[in-house]
Amino acid sequence: MNPVAIAIFQMLVIIALAPLLSGIMKKVKAFFQIRKGASIFQPYYDIAKLLKKDSVVSENASWIFHAAPVISFVAILAAGMLIPIYISDMPFGFAGDLIAIVYLLALARFFTALASLDTGSSFGGMGGSREMFVASMVEPAMMLSIFAIALNVGSTNLDVISQTVSSRGFSAFSPYHLLAFVALFIIAIAETGRIPVDNPATHLELTMIHEAMILEYSGKQLALVELGAMMRNLLVFSLLANIFFPWGIASTASVAGIAAALVAFVIKIAVLGAAMAVVETSTAKWRLFRLPDLLSISLMLSFLALVSFIIVKGG
Amino acid sequence: MSEIVLGSGIMQLLISLILVSTFLILGSTRLYSCVRAFGIQSFLLACVAGIVAYSTGKYDIYVVSILTLVIKALVIPYIFIYIIREIKVKREIALYVGISPSLIIGGILVVISYYLIRSINLIELSSFALSASMSMVAIGLFIMISRKKAIMQMLGILVMENGLFLGAISLTYGMPLLVELGIFFDVLIGALIMGIMIFRINRTFESIDTDMLKTLIG
Repeated sequence: MNPVAIAIFQMLVIIALAPLLSGIMKKVKAFFQIRKGASIFQPYYDIAKLLKKDSVVSENASWIFHAAPVISFVAILAAGMLIPIYISDMPFGFAGDLIAIVYLLALARFFTALASLDTGSSFGGMGGSREMFVASMVEPAMMLSIFAIALNVGSTNLDVISQTVSSRGFSAFSPYHLLAFVALFIIAIAETGRIPVDNPATHLELTMIHEAMILEYSGKQLALVELGAMMRNLLVFSLLANIFFPWGIASTASVAGIAAALVAFVIKIAVLGAAMAVVETSTAKWRLFRLPDLLSISLMLSFLALVSFIIVKGG
Repeated sequence: MSEIVLGSGIMQLLISLILVSTFLILGSTRLYSCVRAFGIQSFLLACVAGIVAYSTGKYDIYVVSILTLVIKALVIPYIFIYIIREIKVKREIALYVGISPSLIIGGILVVISYYLIRSINLIELSSFALSASMSMVAIGLFIMISRKKAIMQMLGILVMENGLFLGAISLTYGMPLLVELGIFFDVLIGALIMGIMIFRINRTFESIDTDMLKTLIG
């Protein structure tokens, strides 16, 4: 298959699957709360409905307010081009490694926070400052945990990492691999704004982080922001899935291989989403100032992963 | 000394999980979750002993493994829970050092023990096991000095004991059964005596906060 076609297809897959993941997680949460819950396709309807509506924008908003949703969306999509989804030999794999991904996600977050300050609403400012507070701890921990894997494989390029791990099979299950996985799972909770850190379903002013930032958006812009958040969710999960369990990923660009890999990908993502939903329903939201503890646990785990790699390999 | 070929990867995994459980004790603020983490740690230790027994084919190590499972993973956590329930202690542990600094100090202790072990020339797995056991001893000591509650001091010394056990079982592939039995007996009696001590402290000072021990009661 044509590499450009693969790249475009990957982009479409990310956009198409992101609301589905969100729907599945909501459904699993509803199951544990003994509710019936909305259909797993509800996020698609929400986005479609928002796209039909007009935006209401504050008079005081500057160009940043209009540009931020687009920039965030594109930054997340660009990060999606660098993360292996269904094929480990990605056409744009040369363009950036995991450091680029961390910074693309940070760019998206930065512009969302900037836009939240732009209209001068007090909730926006609160959400923006909280988001930056969490981000300042998430980013180093995320880098350290992926570095632990990168050190093991010998490359920071994600396609090389997922190829190497998938070719090693079950012998890839080393202590550093496991430690880094747990660390990155905690990061994923913070990165996607899940319950011990942030509650995605709340509009209660005291607890919201992400929702507080996007409070001023409506209509098409809100659709873009929401879809961007869902895509970020999907990308963080596919990072988890395809760095640590890349089995089933296609290594060559054949149609049959890609179809099988897509099925495997959807299953992996659904399992991770369900696991996250279980974590979400079984824990209470933490106080904001206790979050450094959670993230320092993650930092410590990735640190342990690095140290045990050095001990075992005798650096 | 021959490397355990069978299950060397599983051993590494288990040892790193034991380290993680040590950090769980260090990182949690609830007494019950500390006790649970200790139980998990002892269970993993029993698994390590089981693998050593399986790969060396010595039957007395199976006994050691089962004893670890029964005494350390079931009886001692039960003693803990009994004490917590009986003296109706507050569920949150009081700290001298906060959670995040404790975790960072724990990480530093792991690195220090690794550097200490590195100077000894050992094979891959043994050096990993030995540095894990060294860091568990160090972290256990740190738990003892950085937590206020007497129960946490008891937990700290048991973590240290677990660390020594890990070092012994993975380096020597098991001491003579008689020695192991003696150690288990010591640990069990030690836990009971410490439990009684905690009851006494609670009765005399109406708290198990070791800060209170400084105040004189005449």
